[in-house]
Amino acid sequence: MENKNKKSFLERMGESQVWKSIIRSGVPRSRRQRMQAILGSVFLHLHPARIPKHAVKIGYTWCMGGLSFFLFIVLTITGLLLMFYYRPTVEYAYTDIIDMAEQVPLGIMRELHRWGAHAMVLTVWLHMLRVFMTGSYKPPREFNWGVGVLLMTLTMFLSFTGYLLPWDQLAIWAITVGTNMARAHPFIGHEGPGASLLAIGDINLVHAGSDVRFALLGGRFVGEASLLRFYVLHCIGVPFITMILMAVHFWRIRKDGGISGPL
Amino acid sequence: MTEDIKTTPPASVTPAEKDDNALGRRGFFRWMTVGWIAFSAATGGFFTVIVRFLFPNVLFEPPQTFKAGFPNDYASNFVDTRYKKKFNVWMVRDEESIFALSTVCTHLGCTPNWLGTENKFKCPCHGSGFRMTGINFEGPAPRPLERYKISVATDGQILVDKTKSFKWEKGEWENAESFLKV
Amino acid sequence: MLQTIKDIIDILSAPTVSFTFLTVAFPFVFPPTDWFEKIHRKFGIWRLWTKPGFYGGMFAITFFFVVGYFDPNFHVTLTKADNFPIILMIYSMFITIWWSMYQAYLNDERLENGLKPNEYNDPDDKVLVWPDLVYIEFIALILFMVFLIVWSILVAAPLEEPANPAATPNPSKAPWYFLGLQEMLVYFDPWIAGIVFPMFIIIGMMAIPYMDINKKGDGYYSFKERRIGMFIFMYGWLVLWLFLIVIGTFFRGPNWNFFGPFEYWDAHKVVPLNNVNLSEYIWVKTLGTGLPANILIREGIGFLVLVAYMGILPILLAKSWLKNYFQEIGPVRYTFIMLFGLSMLALPIKMYMRWLFNLKYIIAIPEWFFNI
Repeated sequence: MENKNKKSFLERMGESQVWKSIIRSGVPRSRRQRMQAILGSVFLHLHPARIPKHAVKIGYTWCMGGLSFFLFIVLTITGLLLMFYYRPTVEYAYTDIIDMAEQVPLGIMRELHRWGAHAMVLTVWLHMLRVFMTGSYKPPREFNWGVGVLLMTLTMFLSFTGYLLPWDQLAIWAITVGTNMARAHPFIGHEGPGASLLAIGDINLVHAGSDVRFALLGGRFVGEASLLRFYVLHCIGVPFITMILMAVHFWRIRKDGGISGPL
Repeated sequence: MTEDIKTTPPASVTPAEKDDNALGRRGFFRWMTVGWIAFSAATGGFFTVIVRFLFPNVLFEPPQTFKAGFPNDYASNFVDTRYKKKFNVWMVRDEESIFALSTVCTHLGCTPNWLGTENKFKCPCHGSGFRMTGINFEGPAPRPLERYKISVATDGQILVDKTKSFKWEKGEWENAESFLKV
Repeated sequence: MLQTIKDIIDILSAPTVSFTFLTVAFPFVFPPTDWFEKIHRKFGIWRLWTKPGFYGGMFAITFFFVVGYFDPNFHVTLTKADNFPIILMIYSMFITIWWSMYQAYLNDERLENGLKPNEYNDPDDKVLVWPDLVYIEFIALILFMVFLIVWSILVAAPLEEPANPAATPNPSKAPWYFLGLQEMLVYFDPWIAGIVFPMFIIIGMMAIPYMDINKKGDGYYSFKERRIGMFIFMYGWLVLWLFLIVIGTFFRGPNWNFFGPFEYWDAHKVVPLNNVNLSEYIWVKTLGTGLPANILIREGIGFLVLVAYMGILPILLAKSWLKNYFQEIGPVRYTFIMLFGLSMLALPIKMYMRWLFNLKYIIAIPEWFFNI
């Protein structure tokens, strides 16, 4: 009773000049302040201030889209840390992988990265399944479903490019099989249908040294150049495209009327 | 009020008001053409530069020719796997010839294993099978294994040149360079 | 007793048996028409999508894994670190699909009685994102992080021997999420299974909202209102993608031979796979002549089959069985639906032709790298 007028530490902190300069709405207590807390934050205003009731039910959304985004962030952070130790060369790659588990304290960074990647493929699939099961791809969300399919493809491609980096048996043979599919690409792969039509006289334009597989591998065989190319694609190329598409995906959720729901 | 909204704007520039500096229809199209050509040249050029950048002129790859011993080293009807690891080649001798088989499965490029007891090459990736001659007979492989150019060097040893390969389906195994008569 | 069960599972899990079983049973589990619906109700298959069905399914999956864990042969595959995501996948897919169908059936009943679906709330009755959603997200994130850290501590990330370009591991498998593709590669040429089909999967998936013009069932779980679309998608997703991943992970052993889960992976198991092309069937086996030298004549029948399947069949269907449907959706949508639908159906068709007739290619022109 005697403390009635005494303000708690948290309350006083919430009224301090520093706090108010960062979060202008103060401690979110009133309805207005709570809405301000969302609208005034650069990160949280990804959300609208108010959403339909069913949108907060785990049974409706399974939280899978959010977890996929969260995993993308986890993978970015852990991946960045792995880059401190890993050198993408045939000579060092394999030993660096062993070193980062054994010579670095709390060496589960690679585990977090690898299992996180597997988990992300799974969460993305489950998110896709949920969106299909609730019919949420229907107008006006057709375009965003398409963006989502591309994001799913990119997730799998990110995972695939990461597979080569440890430079172990699993890595090179998965990449060998994977890139040999590119060899069979119609017209631009040298063992694909139609490639032999692209010729001037006797000179084939599309051969083992000029087809799409060569561009992927940086050579005719999986080797030094392939490791570097997949490393760059894995760390910069594909994540960059993914981030752009993610921005579009999130933006369009809001623009298409927020989360889907029955009318 | 509604009529006000409906009134059309005054007809476009009449000849009387025409400014000498104004762009005529012809001039407009001329500039459009120049503009589009410049645009295509810029994007096309940039795209070409990007694509070409992916294909280096010099490759640092292991040598493509090697010597594989003397013809008499090989017993007939025998697959020699000595050169598999280093050069990706099986040396095979059947009744009348010696030839160098590529170890690259024609399906998706895995390396098959020679199963002596079953007398076949078997690919672990998707189960393609090849006979000793390299002819495919089971699994998904679409065509036989390739053979490399083979000849006898001046010192009497067999010389295998991997830069030239011979495909059965194109009838190239008839080529005299694809096998050594013994 | 247990051994008998294991033997039965081994036999049942052979792709020929299990794939056939799944394909035949599928329309009764996800009934696309009234007739299937009737049997679905009559024989109590609908109970799969009720709570007892959930317990039964979970028990069956867990039983399989527990027996597998104590089986010396299956133990090896099951405890591979890289296969853990697939166990997660099997559980999570079963739980989520069961949940969707459970909710869908509840909603179907509500809709039939003229009620709004369960998800419906008064549009004006909204909740604040702070704190209701933000806290849920926060908790989900923390729980997931804990899960991921525990997983990472318990299971070391696999690292095999250093790369050796001369020795392919036997069997040599793609990453698990691509095993469906790898399984397709057994039946189709690389340019189809590796390039055309993946493209069709991506483009076909993106085209779903434009092909499925059924406006019902948007924003809530439902089955009956959109049962045909649901049936087609679920067949592709469950049988042609997820089940092929399971086959690729658990049932494919050395030399890419098929092995039952409780069978020993014998690298010397001999399975005859003498495959014959359609042209050889016609010219050599039926007509008794040699293969014609002209490629187009040699493969003429194959081309005819292809044109009949992809070109004439859709036209015939549009004029007979699918007449009303064709008029409803128009020629452009119809063309794309047929293109993607028939391509999808081509996979099981080709699988059966391989199993029944050892058919290798319908059109076989290795000279041009053009095999179908």
